[in-house]
Amino acid sequence: MKKAILYVNQFFGQIGGEEQAGTAPQIHEGQIGPAMQFAKELDAKVTHTIICGDNYMGSNTEEAVAEILSMLEGKEFDIFLAGPAFQAGRYTVACGTICKAVKEKFGVPVVTSMNSETPGVNMFKKDMYILQGGNIASKMRKDVKAMAKVANKLLNGEPIGSADEEGYFARGIRHQVWRADGKPASERMVDMLIKKLNGEPFQTELPIPKRDMVPIAPAVKNLKEARIALVNTGGIVPADNPDHIQSASATRWGRYNIDGEEALKSGEYKTIHAGFDPAAADADPNVITPVDALKTLEKEGVYGSLHPYFYTTVGTGTTEAEAQRMAKEMIPHFQEDHVDAVIMVST
Amino acid sequence: MKLEIGNFYVKDIVFGDKLSLENGVLTIDKEEALDFVKEDERITEAELHIAKPGDKIRMCPVKEAVEPRVRPDGRSIFPGYTGDLAKAGEGVTYALKNCSVLVVGMHWGGFQDGIIDMSGEGQKYTYYGQLNNIVLVADTNEEFEKNEQQKKNDALRRAGHRLAEFIGACVKDMTPEETEVYELGGMIKRGPETEKLPSVVYVMQPQSQMEEMGYNDLVYGWDMNHVVPTVMHPNEILDGAMVSGSFMPVSSKWATYDFQNCPNIKALYKEHGKTINFLGVIMSNLNVALEQKERAALFVAQIANSLGADGAVVAEEGYGNPDADFVGCIVALEDAGVKTVGITNECTGRDGQSQPLVTLDEKCDAIVSCGNVSQLIELPPMETVLGELQALARDGLSGGWADDEILGPSVREDGSIIMENNSMFCGDQVCGWSPKTMKEF
Repeated sequence: MKKAILYVNQFFGQIGGEEQAGTAPQIHEGQIGPAMQFAKELDAKVTHTIICGDNYMGSNTEEAVAEILSMLEGKEFDIFLAGPAFQAGRYTVACGTICKAVKEKFGVPVVTSMNSETPGVNMFKKDMYILQGGNIASKMRKDVKAMAKVANKLLNGEPIGSADEEGYFARGIRHQVWRADGKPASERMVDMLIKKLNGEPFQTELPIPKRDMVPIAPAVKNLKEARIALVNTGGIVPADNPDHIQSASATRWGRYNIDGEEALKSGEYKTIHAGFDPAAADADPNVITPVDALKTLEKEGVYGSLHPYFYTTVGTGTTEAEAQRMAKEMIPHFQEDHVDAVIMVST
Repeated sequence: MKLEIGNFYVKDIVFGDKLSLENGVLTIDKEEALDFVKEDERITEAELHIAKPGDKIRMCPVKEAVEPRVRPDGRSIFPGYTGDLAKAGEGVTYALKNCSVLVVGMHWGGFQDGIIDMSGEGQKYTYYGQLNNIVLVADTNEEFEKNEQQKKNDALRRAGHRLAEFIGACVKDMTPEETEVYELGGMIKRGPETEKLPSVVYVMQPQSQMEEMGYNDLVYGWDMNHVVPTVMHPNEILDGAMVSGSFMPVSSKWATYDFQNCPNIKALYKEHGKTINFLGVIMSNLNVALEQKERAALFVAQIANSLGADGAVVAEEGYGNPDADFVGCIVALEDAGVKTVGITNECTGRDGQSQPLVTLDEKCDAIVSCGNVSQLIELPPMETVLGELQALARDGLSGGWADDEILGPSVREDGSIIMENNSMFCGDQVCGWSPKTMKEF
């Protein structure tokens, strides 16, 4: 019989709630929590359950992943499962992170499940089958069944149906299929046309992604009195990267005090952005975050004053949803300090 | 305008002494038919075959498909092309149904030519796999384009149209089994009941990308590159006003057969007077220069508005560069207040991960999608090949290749093939047949 291994967090691993969220990864032979239901549904034996605290995975991602990968070393398994994670934000990111790492390292198929309202979906849906899960743990039975259905097809080498049919988040892949009812394009066209003419709901066969256009802000009216803040997606951080901002697909950001500094010094600041050659930015971080020029212009009275922090994240591979969330987290800091305008440096 | 299409169903095709249709059996005097084909001195070699559904036949390089027809009053079935200019779309036309004349190159193919399988896994990829086909396999003296990737295929395509007319003539004095009637009066004289219904135009974007004449679709024999959008009666399209061209990856092509039977037009006709008031066709095109695209979209939207259209359907014969015409035209119509549905195929790549059309716009919110031109297709060897299979690999067919580091050549020694859907003859059936759609995975 084929073999499966399941990843769950501290709560579903029956260690405890939020107070145990810092628990380091542990691996148990046999089935704990949801693994017992998976054992009933899967065409495979669930040999091990891995448990890791959501905070541990979130704050020490590299270590957590490395520890889990080494636990899996030498174990035989045909599929790796994580969750279901429901609407628990950190847990969804943890499931996606570990599934992606396991798939890359061991080349086995991975399946997880999460609610559409969670950050894990946009971060990982292109990398794996993520079933569209419920929002609360009472949907456990249903979500496990849905995961097992796809997992069993993978285990048995059967073709996986479309995202709609199987209930996973579309992975950005479009293929042609023959409709079961053979309904020709001309009849589908007429149906859609009549519905559209009559103002009834209809389903396009080629959904166009919504373009989220941000209008360009109006010019700053009185620059001489304006308070300016500096934000960048170029990954300029203090040399020890104290906020552990990721080098790609970032979910973290940081703000760094520049009160009293005339410029960012090489060696004290560097870039951790993985999407360009860092040599120039490491040699002179001001080429991305022009603190030097802004301080000079402030002295010359070109604009009012500089907000005493600059803000950093990494843009490469970062989803729009994550970028929006991080911006929303930054905004209160600007409002509190009465910032009038932000200079946004991208790379 | 009233068009009556008298249908004669072809159940079987045989070679015999005299061209005739009797009890559904079409008999063709092969020698007589080939002599007729060879009246065009450019045809150097010609052979005739029969290919029916289930036959273990693969055809390559296929260049054109035509429904055999005749006009009992003596007018040509393709006015301005196979005969003198005359009105199309009015009066009586006879058609041999479930039957087409296919033209296949004896040796040489090109970018615009394709594959048809009559049985097995490959049969479902084209509409013509389910028809009784008379297959003309021929070669020509058109040396100037023998080794060109883009071929006009003029002699071969004309031979197909002429042969379809020649064969169709056998029912000229017979009584059809059934008659389809297509009648639409003046757009402003439809009567109060019909005029209460939302009015709809069908916008066709036939292929016209080549600046040099001889490749593009024709309207009454006139090159579509040289038109600005105009109004046509749907009957004209069903009755031979349009002749297919010889340019573009062939899964996007509308064969002449597709124009003659255009399912989108027939579907709109069927709803006419019930749910819609089918005003007619706006015939546009797909010229390559941006200004020409913008001009065409401007014309289409203006005509739709002038006619008072509430809704429109836009269909494109191509992908890639023509996507700009397709999306631009839909946007122009939506901006002009015309609720629009589009029909197209997509190019999402072999892995399905590419952007489906070269340009996208949120205003295109109602699209019927008919397939992925770049889907990889692998098919086993076929007992009989009509034409020359090597053309798929050798001659630059849009879905074939001479060699590939990973996939190897398109045509293997054992006769099995690997290709992109691009070279399935009229495979995406945007004219309305398509049973395919696109799904997210």
